[in-house]
This record gives sequence, structure tokens and C-alpha cells, in this order.
Amino acid sequence: MWYRIPARLVKSSLDPQWREAPMSTVRERLKPHLLPQFCKGCGRCIESCTRHCISAGTEINAATGLIPVNLDLEQCNGCGLCISACPEPYGLRAEPGKDFVLEDPKALFGARRAASEVAPSIPDELLPLPAVEPLVVKGNYASAIGALIAGCRHFYGYPITPSTEGAELMAKLLPKLRGVFMQAVSETATVNMMYGCGGAGMKAMTFTSSPGFSLMLEGISYMIGAELPGVFVNVMRGGPGLGNIAPEQADIKLACRGLGHGNTQAVVLAPSTPQEMLDLTILAFDLSFRYRNPVVILSDGYLGQMTGTVRLPGTAVKPGLPSWAVSGDRAHRGNLICSFLLSEADLEAHNIHLNSKYAAMKAAEQRADLFETDDAEVLLVACNTPGRMAKGAVRELRARGIKAGLFRPISLWPFPIDALRPLLLRAHRIVVVEASNGQLEDEMRLAISHDSVPRPPAIASVRRFGGVLPQQKEIVDRVLEGVGAALVEGVRV
Amino acid sequence: MSVFYDRFERHDHGTGLKGRSTHYCAGCGHGLAHKYLAEAIEELGVQDRTVAVSPVGCSVFLYYYFDVGNTQAAHGRAPAVAIGHKTANPDSIVISYQGDGDLASIGLAEIVSTAQMGIPITVVFINNAIYGMTGGQLAPTTLMGQRTSTTPEGRTAFFGPPIRMAELIAGLDGPVYVERVALYDAKQRVRAKKAITKALRLQVENRGFAFVEVLAECPTHLGMNPSEAEKWVKEAMTAVFPLGVKKDVEPPTDQVRPVGPEFDPVRLVEVFEGSTEKAPRFCAAFPTLWGTEDIALKFAGAGGDGAQTAALLVARAGINEGFDATHIPSYGPESRGGTSYADVHIARTEVLSPASPSPHLLVAFNAPSLARFGPTVEGGGTIVYDSSVIADVPSLPAGVTAIGVPMTQIASALGRLLVKNVVALGALQAATSIFPEESFLTAIRQALKSRCAMIPLNEEAFARGRQAVRSHEGSVQAN
Ligand code: SF4
Ligand code: SF4
Ligand code: SF4
Repeated sequence: MWYRIPARLVKSSLDPQWREAPMSTVRERLKPHLLPQFCKGCGRCIESCTRHCISAGTEINAATGLIPVNLDLEQCNGCGLCISACPEPYGLRAEPGKDFVLEDPKALFGARRAASEVAPSIPDELLPLPAVEPLVVKGNYASAIGALIAGCRHFYGYPITPSTEGAELMAKLLPKLRGVFMQAVSETATVNMMYGCGGAGMKAMTFTSSPGFSLMLEGISYMIGAELPGVFVNVMRGGPGLGNIAPEQADIKLACRGLGHGNTQAVVLAPSTPQEMLDLTILAFDLSFRYRNPVVILSDGYLGQMTGTVRLPGTAVKPGLPSWAVSGDRAHRGNLICSFLLSEADLEAHNIHLNSKYAAMKAAEQRADLFETDDAEVLLVACNTPGRMAKGAVRELRARGIKAGLFRPISLWPFPIDALRPLLLRAHRIVVVEASNGQLEDEMRLAISHDSVPRPPAIASVRRFGGVLPQQKEIVDRVLEGVGAALVEGVRV
Repeated sequence: MSVFYDRFERHDHGTGLKGRSTHYCAGCGHGLAHKYLAEAIEELGVQDRTVAVSPVGCSVFLYYYFDVGNTQAAHGRAPAVAIGHKTANPDSIVISYQGDGDLASIGLAEIVSTAQMGIPITVVFINNAIYGMTGGQLAPTTLMGQRTSTTPEGRTAFFGPPIRMAELIAGLDGPVYVERVALYDAKQRVRAKKAITKALRLQVENRGFAFVEVLAECPTHLGMNPSEAEKWVKEAMTAVFPLGVKKDVEPPTDQVRPVGPEFDPVRLVEVFEGSTEKAPRFCAAFPTLWGTEDIALKFAGAGGDGAQTAALLVARAGINEGFDATHIPSYGPESRGGTSYADVHIARTEVLSPASPSPHLLVAFNAPSLARFGPTVEGGGTIVYDSSVIADVPSLPAGVTAIGVPMTQIASALGRLLVKNVVALGALQAATSIFPEESFLTAIRQALKSRCAMIPLNEEAFARGRQAVRSHEGSVQAN
């Protein structure tokens, strides 16, 4: 086959394989050769030939509709200038002359390396972690330590309050583990560094907070499109705009419904204690590689700063290397990281594939924490730090004889409807407690609606904004209001 | 040319002629830059190690052609993606290939910061003075007077003059090599090939960041045939974008080439200072003076009073005793010099609400703190305040005990104002017996593990705080 003839017969090279090649049997100067269907007729070769061997064509090539040049090589001295003037890889090429002694190319150059190998998938290894006393650390630190335990050695980020302690700890610890801490020029650069690092099959993460997370969304959409892992810890703060640096939960909509443009979803995890900051960060890396998709951890400014006890797991991860990675080695040379699919049919198929991953996540990755829900007639729904306030409220309400319980979604997407569904049979009333304008409630309502729950209970809410978190007392008061109303009406409200 | 795929399978699934021809217009400069880059990869023998980053623009399909590891970046972000790859595997040879809209407009921050960082990657920058893919709009490198679809009357002063990237990048300290080349004749093409090869070699030798700007022809949007376009580049473009080497400082091979990361779990635990030492316990049971499950505390003062440290020490003591505890600071601008307060909870099993809107115990270091939080203290609760700086105690809820201790005075007598917060802890301990004395001292010693010399002073401060309460040196006000 013509295209299998090594074209670069005359070049020396730094590659030892080339240097050792026995060049003496190769004619030094080769005349150009052209298959007309690969000529675009640009004419760049015409002027390059000082011997006027090439002239503009006159006949349209039936296959291309273009007019290839004509070659008359009588005067040709094999200078090769026309070849280096031709922009087409399979346009003008050096062709062995008549007196060329064709040797086995393998003898000349070794095996041709055109075809890349099929890359193996090297799985992660779990190594036993020495037992230590529980750490007493703030949430942001716990998450950073979780990432290290999960085998993350690449951190990219841009400082933003109230998430910076996580980055600062990484800056301190990663060099000691020969890892990479990189402070990027912006959140935009950050997410694209994660795209590169994740594309190379490594575990990459960032800490950010709401405005920074907004800036990362474009890149997250690319990562989802290109099916890349990566962990984003968004320590949510007050918004919109610059807002403030106090805790809010107003990025739930963004993380669950708006991860950049296009058909995007990612598992969204909402820790509510420093312990969960660690546990869920470890889980996030696992899910991120399992689904080849980013994972978002939504924390809040309060939790990021909160110090508490954190117990460590028994194992730490030594990462492997997935077969799909573009890791800059021979085995993975054939891979491509890309979210660009020009043909409609290809892109539709890709979206259907993504949808099947989303469906798998929905089936397998719902997580929730249930507190006193078995006989609950009033169900509080809350996550993150407000989840703790709500837990306090449940205890107080129980002490007053009200059958209250807490349903705390840990995965906000997928919303843990499977765990909520049975509770709806008994509950008369739901009170959603959140530091946002009903974004958690919307997730719950959507899940209930998609699930076609018959006669769902009435839904009330406690909502605070701007960094003010709902406190136990107002939660209790809201529940008591409802109980009063229910007693008056004597029906389910 | 083995660095080009045998068949361009990604180009319309390699069907028909597309399997062997590019998507570029006839005479487009991209094809030549591709060719020289492919030759350079081959000559340097780095095909297997190469990761090429495709940009957004006409060259978005670079990955159709190069038989190397390929990745496609968002518009303008190729250098950031390149950093990701290079830091993930320092042995990879990473090429960021970008057009003028990608590199010199939307991606300016990425290219400038990456160049300044000096990370060894190779950037091939194709400057054809116009947007190709989107259909011939103004580029940052469009010449003055040049007509584009968004400058129908020609580029005017309103848009400012074209940006000279090679000079800009060469002006940075980071890069080792910057050259501008062109493709319009055989001589320039030889130079272009040499420059691209050199830029790649500098990476292979791990010497640093290299940048080649290639003045290229876009016959389609210039509305010219390829030979007119060559002429235009030669005459009009080079007048604005002078060719030549802009920077060449070839440093010695970088010796500190990174080795792979460490995953030894023993080292990992060491790094985050995990301890196998179990803290001794001194409490017989959970302190139940303020309820059976949970104690809420608040520490409040000015920034620098040490409220946060005191709060953390109490939480730490609680955890040492086997209870659950949390600490949450006020933070941000208001904690930088302004008020600083901290909420602490100690719970028998689990802290539920970590906030302390109505604490059982309050430590107040200044008058505004006492005025603000004193009235929120639960009945039966206790306040310890710094009587050196607080003269008037506001009216407090019934059943709240307030104990004034001259914390500042005691600390300054000890010669170190900073230990004021430890004086406060001593006072808190004596006033409430929340935990035994040794509980606090253990937490203090733990915190000072790396600054042992400070321990005796702190122990003394703690003792003086206790003494102040016990000898009724302090003023007690019970409501
Ligand atoms: S090899 Fe040289 S002489 Fe021969 S056609 Fe090409 S440019 Fe002309
Ligand atoms: S340079 Fe190549 S594509 Fe252009 S006319 Fe010559 S052979 Fe054809
Ligand atoms: S539009 Fe211009 S830059 Fe794009 S492929 Fe065509 S000639 Fe090349």
C-alpha cells in the first residue's frame, strides 16, 4: 500500500532508532510524488520549484471537484522544496526513484510505530493506613486530607474565601508528597488545568467558593462532555454577585441543574460535618473515576470553618491509570480527550451515552441520612450545616412530644427519593430548612414530581439568606405553627 | 510521515478522501505548521510521549491528524490544559497549538501566565490576522485598516492596534525561546521548520517554555488566492509583525525534574501529623450543670484577644475527654482587627446545632462583646469577662452569673499580653468546673507541642486565672 512507504527516508534524527538506520542504501534525493485526489490545487508548490516542474492544473478532479497541479519532473533535482511547501500531509510526498532498493522497512527503521497499542487499565490499589487518633480539624482541612487519602496529588486552585484553608493545606502538604500544588491565574484556568490533569488520568481537585464556581462552569461542561474525572469542593458563600463570605446554600440550583451549557449532570454531595467533608471527598474521587465525570461537593462557609473530630479510614488509595487516559506514553497514544462531535448523529449518540451514565448514577448514588424518621409525622428536610440545626430542632421537638424527624439528603443530585418515598406515607408535613431561596426544596419537589408520589404532604419552609443560617429555635417555631394549624383544621396540611 | 495517522479516522469517520486530506482550505498555513510540527516530533523521536492540545478555531481538528496523545481544549484554555498534562506527567511532551483568537484574545491570561511560569511546554501560535472558524471576524492581530466581517470599513483606532504576541511573550522572564516565523517562501518555511523543531527540542531537553509565532495565510477570509495571501503576509503582515528570534536564552537542562508522587501511607500520616498518642481523660462523666446533652459556649473579643484559640482549646479538651465538640469562628474582614467571636459546643454524643445563639458560658474580652452577647446567655449560665477593660456590666438575664477577672492586668504582669486568653481559660475552669484543671492543661500542652518553651508561661497564666476567681479577687455579680 502506497501510504505505508516511510516517507522520511532521508532524514537523520535524534531518535537512536533513526540514527542507527543504514542510510547508505537510500537514494539521497527523492522526487516528489502526488496522488491528484489529495491535491487541493492551492498552488503553493508551484512557486517553490525553481525548476518550474510544477504548473497549475487545468482539469477538475472528479473525486474532489478541485484542480490538482501538474508535475513534469524531467528537470527535477529532488530538492524537496515543493514537498515542504505542500500543506497536505498526503499531498506532495517523497517517492522512491526507479533505482531505489526497497529494503524491508523494518530492517531500516525498526518496527513502524503507526499503530498505538491497546492501553491496559491499571486499577487503584488500597493500602492500609496506619491507625491514628481522630484528627481535630476544620471542615476544609478534613476535605483536603480526604483528597490525599483518596490518592489525589494534584491540586489546582485560585484563592477565594471561605475555601482557602483547603488550598493552603494542600500547598503545605503536597510538596511533601511530591505532589503538585498549582495556584492558577483564575478559576477559568483552574478548571482547565483539571481538565488536562484529569485527562491524563490523574486525580485532580480544587477548592472554591460560589463566585469561583460560577467561573468554572464552562470547564465543568467540557469535562462532562469529554468524560473526565475531577473533584470540585464548593464552599458556598452568600450571593448573588460578590455577595459576602458568610455561609449560604444558594448554589444548589447551579450544581444540580446548571453545570455549564449542554446536557450536564454530576453527582453533588452535601456534607454536614467535618467528618463528612473527609468521607465524601474520598467518595467523590471514587465516583468521579467510576463514572468518568466530575463530582461536586457542596459545602457551606460555616462547615468549611468548623472544627470537629474526624476519624480516618483504614486504607489509602494508590492510584492506577485508566486505559482511556492521555498520559503521554506509548500505551495511551491512541487516546483522545474531546467533547467535540461535529456530526449530529455522533453528538446525539454521545448524549444518549451520557444519559445512560446519569441514569446509572440516579440508580446507584442516592444517599441520605435519616434521623428519627421511622414514625415521623413532621419531616424536616435540610442539608449541610442547616441539617445540623434541623437535627437539634428534631431533638427539641421530640422532647415536646412532637413526632419530628430529619431527612438529610447527602446526595443532592441524584436526590435520594428512594429513601424519602416511604417516609411520605406517614408524614403529614414537610418543612424544608435551608439558607437559600428554596433551591433544596425545588430539588425535592422535582424528585417527588418525577416519582409521581400520590398526595404528597404539604410543604412549608424556613429560608434564610445572606449568610444568616436558620437557627434551631426558628425551625422549632415553624414546626409548631404548623402543628397548631393542623390541630385547628383537624386534617393533613 | 508516521506522526500523521495512516488514515484520518476521526475526519468524518475516515470515509472517502477525508481519510487522507485535511479539512483546511486550499493554501491554508495551518497545514504547513502541522507538517513541520509532525516532522519535529518524528525527528526528536517523541511521538509516543507527545500530548497535543487542540484549540478552538480552524485548527480544532488537530487531533484528526496527529498520531499522538490528543486532547481538545476549551477556547483559549489550551495552555492551562497543557499545564494539567505536563504536571500530571512531567515526562510527556506537551504541545499547545493555538490560533490568534484563541491565544491572543480570549486566552490572554492563560498564555501570559503559563509563559511567565516557564513550565517546559511548546506553544505553536498561528497568527493569520483574522478569525477563521467563525467566518472572518476581527482578530486581535488584524492589521489597521484591514476589512473583516466585524470591521467592514477596516480596523480603526477605536479597536486599538494589533497585538504583537511574540514581543509580549519575549518580554516575560519565563520563556527561554520566542521566535516569529512565516511561511510565504521557501526560506521562511525552512526557518519555520527549524524554529518549531527547536521549540520542541527545548522541551524534550526540559529546558523551558518555548513559543513560536507563525504568520500564516488564511486565503479564504483574506479573499485572496494562496499566492496573493503569501504576498500579503510577506508585505503587510511582516511590516507589523517583524520576523526573527525575540528571545533565546537556552538555560542548562533543568536538574530538578520532578519524580512521581509519594503514596506511602506511613508517609501520608506523617505529613498530616496523625498521632497515635491517646490523650488522657480526666472527666468522670459529662458535665451536666447545663443540661444532659450539650453545652454551648461563646468566646468574644477583638481580633488579637485570642478568642479563637481559647475556643479551640476548650473544644480540644472536650474531644480529649471523649465527647463530641465543635468550634466555629466568625471570620473574614470582621475578624481582621474587628470583633472576633467563636461558638463552641461540647456534646455527650453528637453536636447537633454548632451555633451558640444562646450560650451557657460566655467569655468576653471587651465591653462591646459583653454588651452584645451578655444578654443572650441562658439562665443558669456563667460569664467570665475581662474586668481590666470592662467597667460596666450590662443588665443580664436572671440566673446568669458574671465574674470579672482582670485578664489583661494579669497577663501583662506575666510580661506577655498574649496569654490573656489562657488566663481566661483558667478563670472559666475555676468558675464553672466544666472540665478538670488537667483537662485544660493537657489541651494547652498539646497545642504548644512544637513550642515547648511557652508551656510554663501558659501554665502560670492558667493558674493565675483560676486563682483570680478562687480568691474572689474577681468581682462576682449574680442576677
Ligand atoms: S523536488 Fe525540487 S525540483 Fe523537483 S519538483 Fe520539487 S521543487 Fe521542483
Ligand atoms: S501545494 Fe500541495 S495541495 Fe497545493 S497545489 Fe501543490 S500539491 Fe496541491
Ligand atoms: S478559514 Fe482560513 S484559517 Fe481557516 S482553514 Fe480556511 S484558510 Fe485556514
